[in-house]
Amino acid sequence: MANVFPRWVNTIPIKVIVALVLIVTTVTVGITYYATPKYTRVGYAPTQPVAFSHALHAGQLELDCRYCHTFVDRSEHSNVPASNVCMTCHSMVKKDSATLAPVRESYESGEPIPWVRVHKTPDYVYFNHSVHVNRGISCVECHGRVDQMEVVEHAKSFSMSFCLDCHRNPEDSIRPIEEVYNLDWERPTGPEAQAEFEGFVHDWKVNPPQSCSGCHR
Amino acid sequence: MKNSEFSGPRYWKSLDDLAETPAFKDWIEREFPAGAADMEGVNRRHFMKVMAASFGLAGLGMAGCRRPEQNILPYSKQPENVIPGVPVYYTSSMPSARDNVPVIVETHTGRPTKIEGNPSFKPYGGATTVYTQASILDLYDPDRATKSKASGATLSPAAVRDRLDALRQTHGANQGAGLVFLAEPSTSPSRAKLVKQIKQAFPQAIWAENTAIDQSTSEQAAQAVFGQSLRSLPEFTKAKRVLALDAEFLMNADGSLSQARDFTKTRKVKDSKDAKKMSRLYSVESTLTSTGSMADHRLRLSSSQMGAFIAQVGAAVLNKKHVGGPLAAELAKIGGSLKVDAQWVDACATDLVENAGHSIIIAGEHLPKSVHAIVIAINEALSAPINYVAVPTAEQGIAAAVARLNKGTVETLVILGGNPVYDAPIDLNWSAAQAQATESIYIGGSANETSEAASLFIARSHYLETWGDGRTFDGTLVPVQPMIEPLFETFNELEILARLAGESVTDGYSIAQATFAELGGSDFNKFLSDGVLDGSAYNSASPVLDYLQVASAIKSDELKAFELSADQLEVRFAPSSHAYDGRFANNGWMMECPDPITKLTWDNAIQISPSLARELESTQGIQIFPSKKPMNKQSDFFEGAKGTLQTNKANFRRGKEDAVVVELTVNGVTIEAPIHVVPGLANYTVVLPLGMGRKVVGRVGQGVGFDAYAARTSSSLGCALGASIKLTEKTFFLANTQEHWSMEGRALVRENTATGYAKKPDFVNKVGVESHAPLNYGKDADKSLQEQSVNQYRGNSAYDHISFSKPAPNVKVWKGNEDKFPVPQQWGMAIDMNSCIGCSACVVACQSENNVPIVGKDQVLRGREMHWMRIDRYFSAEQYDQTEVPDDVQVSYMGMMCQHCENAPCEQVCPVNATVHDTSGLNTMAYNRCVGTRYCANNCPYKVRRFNFLDWNKRQIGEFYKGPLGPVDEPELEKMNANPNVTVRMRGVMEKCTFCTQRIEAAKIEQKRLAGASDDIRIADGNIKVACQQVCPTDAITFGDISDADSEVSKMKANDRNYSVLGYLNARPRTTYLARLRNPNPEMPDAYEKPYAYAQYDERYGHGSHDAHADDHGAGHDDHHGHEHSSHSEDAPAAH
Repeated sequence: MANVFPRWVNTIPIKVIVALVLIVTTVTVGITYYATPKYTRVGYAPTQPVAFSHALHAGQLELDCRYCHTFVDRSEHSNVPASNVCMTCHSMVKKDSATLAPVRESYESGEPIPWVRVHKTPDYVYFNHSVHVNRGISCVECHGRVDQMEVVEHAKSFSMSFCLDCHRNPEDSIRPIEEVYNLDWERPTGPEAQAEFEGFVHDWKVNPPQSCSGCHR
Repeated sequence: MKNSEFSGPRYWKSLDDLAETPAFKDWIEREFPAGAADMEGVNRRHFMKVMAASFGLAGLGMAGCRRPEQNILPYSKQPENVIPGVPVYYTSSMPSARDNVPVIVETHTGRPTKIEGNPSFKPYGGATTVYTQASILDLYDPDRATKSKASGATLSPAAVRDRLDALRQTHGANQGAGLVFLAEPSTSPSRAKLVKQIKQAFPQAIWAENTAIDQSTSEQAAQAVFGQSLRSLPEFTKAKRVLALDAEFLMNADGSLSQARDFTKTRKVKDSKDAKKMSRLYSVESTLTSTGSMADHRLRLSSSQMGAFIAQVGAAVLNKKHVGGPLAAELAKIGGSLKVDAQWVDACATDLVENAGHSIIIAGEHLPKSVHAIVIAINEALSAPINYVAVPTAEQGIAAAVARLNKGTVETLVILGGNPVYDAPIDLNWSAAQAQATESIYIGGSANETSEAASLFIARSHYLETWGDGRTFDGTLVPVQPMIEPLFETFNELEILARLAGESVTDGYSIAQATFAELGGSDFNKFLSDGVLDGSAYNSASPVLDYLQVASAIKSDELKAFELSADQLEVRFAPSSHAYDGRFANNGWMMECPDPITKLTWDNAIQISPSLARELESTQGIQIFPSKKPMNKQSDFFEGAKGTLQTNKANFRRGKEDAVVVELTVNGVTIEAPIHVVPGLANYTVVLPLGMGRKVVGRVGQGVGFDAYAARTSSSLGCALGASIKLTEKTFFLANTQEHWSMEGRALVRENTATGYAKKPDFVNKVGVESHAPLNYGKDADKSLQEQSVNQYRGNSAYDHISFSKPAPNVKVWKGNEDKFPVPQQWGMAIDMNSCIGCSACVVACQSENNVPIVGKDQVLRGREMHWMRIDRYFSAEQYDQTEVPDDVQVSYMGMMCQHCENAPCEQVCPVNATVHDTSGLNTMAYNRCVGTRYCANNCPYKVRRFNFLDWNKRQIGEFYKGPLGPVDEPELEKMNANPNVTVRMRGVMEKCTFCTQRIEAAKIEQKRLAGASDDIRIADGNIKVACQQVCPTDAITFGDISDADSEVSKMKANDRNYSVLGYLNARPRTTYLARLRNPNPEMPDAYEKPYAYAQYDERYGHGSHDAHADDHGAGHDDHHGHEHSSHSEDAPAAH
């Protein structure tokens, strides 16, 4: 009796195994790569051209965020300070420090300091700082405890669901206007506090957009 | 006899023709087309290397997929008033020969991105012309002049300054005897001051001014009649009757912005009681213009017959008013040379006389001086509301410069702007004259025909880079303010003149500031911030008219009417709607902006009348019109459906207009160009649009159109006689964006007469199929617009109503406090078609605001133009014959863009939810979700969605098809033009009008930012102006919150002329239209009871009027609807 199956059938099991291994590997690698915090850059902390410490300036010295990020409450961008802002103090304090050499150089030459971008939304997202900080959303909600960071790192995920979670439940993130720049503020808990936060949402008519046009234009 | 070259890409009728061309032979010999062969040898090896490297990279941990490291580069020293991310607005004005348009320019970190009109100048009300909108593109034109050059070699700015100083010294010695200036006219008082100084420094020199499109004939006529140079500023707001005599006063004329604005104010009709007050426009014209399309009565008459015509009107008016003495008799005599419907003239004159004090006659500037003299006299007799202002007398013209040059003693010729080699009258032979000068210096913004012939080329800055000043048409002083340092080493013309005049102060800012002080201004910074100096207009004059003076100023040979025929044609030279006089020939936005009447892009065609086309067709035996029979004659289906489908009015091959090429001979010159048949032209008038067919021009303007200047002489600047046309076998593809002429009886643009409207105020919803279809909102039809906008009632459907007044289901915080929930504002738009003049400024404004790319002629031919907004132009005729092209037509315009339907058909078919509604009622488009199925475009009844078939933004025109290996070069300079708040779309995504969502969001954010910890988050009405609304000179577009009953747009929509286009589809568009009204005079021989479009609708649906049964519609349909209305289901919703 002739063979029922042709000879090539013998290799089917090994082919299936190889295919399965490949598929599983691809899926695993894919998920690891695209869906874990690494992809959303949580923890990204590049070395900056000047070893500027937010922990020292914003934390210990308690400088207001807006001392350097002057336009955060007026513009869509929160600007990185120009060299002359650094020099307001450092023309007197630590004026010969080697760490500050690039700043002095930039101030004199007019060439910008090439800071490395840490936080970035995609090009098709039009995020606006001013509308958030003026309506009770603190810097800390997206940037984390920058006042404790020696080197600025990416603290939150910045994925679309990160944005939407807050846009759906603003009462969980909103805080009194006067505490917006106080990164150290501790959020009270309990039903009374919850009622207060919901009160902000109601009284200020906070209705963050969930529509596409809110962020994409 | 010389042949002007027929430029532009040729299209072959057959493969044989193509095979004969050298390019084809060459192509065969090379085996591989150009480019493919370049892959051989070194290049191929290089390619493999690069590819190998990138494959390697792709394998190595996919590092290429990671976001690249980016730097943030802050200022070293923060400049004042610059907030990154917040645009800064500066006032300025766009210079032109007689009318600077005041503008406000939006700049983003120092880079101008959008021009808007300056509303502080009340007469223009914040409007600009289409050219002003497009002028920003010239700043970023990669082909603009970047360096000064002397016979090919680059000159440094210092060297140019040395040359200028040397020039002053050489010619100063002999009082400028060897010096000739030829300048473009300018309104700048600073320049006028410097010119005066130059004339003093070089008393023997010639200062002449030249412009190709001279619009000062009426001023010259006033000089002859009144003895002083006076400009007439008609007060159209007071006008009840207007007679336009071959005058395009609504667009593209100097001062047309205020004229259009004021004129349409008299046509705004609030309700049916208001209809009587509407003004009436008579237009007698040789070409079809926007003025003619606004006219209530229109008479086709050749330009050369206008003189006799106005003489007849003049005689009638003067006789009726019993003034003028012998002038009336003389006019009657002159008028006798023309045969024209006497009743038309008489009824028109009677109407003008009856409304004396409120009637105005305005004549086209290309008409002879005598015509303008008569117009002045008639206006005087009618006590027309016209202000005369004293204007500076014009400088001598180009002829004076030519005369001096031809003496051969000229050492230096200085040409300041313009392009005389290209556009000077041919009888002057400017090129030869220019060559007579030992040295010629050209100062201009880009290389052109004249700069090629000059020995020294000085690059001039764009007006957005320079200091200066100017005057509007009424003389109000406006600044020219730079937004940015000159991008290249270019010069301000004030500096050049100051150096030649030997001034010590040479920078533009100081010169403009000094002039401002001399003109009585006190606060220069306030002037710059306002953008106008109030009270600085020209002094008004109250001249006394002497009719005898008029009689002596009239030359009867200028007024005699000529007999025209197919062998003795009249040629009208008119500025092209694309390039104007040629200055915008390298401006892609202008090239691609469809002509308001012909809807042609990227070309100028000889426009001829249908009568002439038929005559030429029969005498010369070459087919112009397609021979197809109308479908209903052949098909039972269409007969049964009364489907009076119109045949195309031009030959189309796969949607491309295949125009017959003709040889037109005039003034001894033969021009070869395609023809385009336009209804509404005088029978024997043909139009040659000027400004195209440039030989030395940048990449955009290369090979576009034909050059009509080649046939223009100084005696025929406006129109020439004795032309003839010979049809050829050749054809040429014209990129026509609207193939369809007629609405075919569909109720797209709804019109009525003013009296018809007064009698039947609710006519607008009795015209369309809506009067037969079931009510769109079912039982909720009686709810107010405000309620309907917030709650989407589903009619009688069992589904839940969608409501924007409640929080989304996934939001918990409002539970128990639903009454406090802030209902989002609902955006909507109303377009008043009674005001739209079709000027297309909105089209280019939209392009500028929304980063809409241009695609080039080849792609327009494939129907891939990207404009988010278009203006549909429809013709309708008295006799509805679908086989013939009518001569007398009524024109209707309809601005068409995304209608933001509540029940959007596009949203229902998108497989990936890339186009969905937002809670403000906008139909949004998420580009990053779009996968490019194009289902939405297919399902859109308005045809307003645009697909990025190719990479328009990253590739140059002509390189779209080069695939992934083609060069991806997005010039830095062009990128600077983009609006940073609008995504630049990539290949493969759909796009469309967004209601300027970036402006809505910006206003929302600003309001919330200011609200802070308060609930003051509602945007006040009028705070958002969308780009098309902002630029509109006639305020035809209103935008705002329709959930607020007091907003401007809600009031517009409450008007009983308000209707939705294709409303019966129940798409419920947020953009609605206000029906157009025409105001015919019943005494006129061509009076009509209903506008032709309305009459056509009635004719098509076969029941004369809906009056008879309109009232019983609500109650239910009777039997008789069954057979009569069966045709409606076939009513194809083609808007295009």
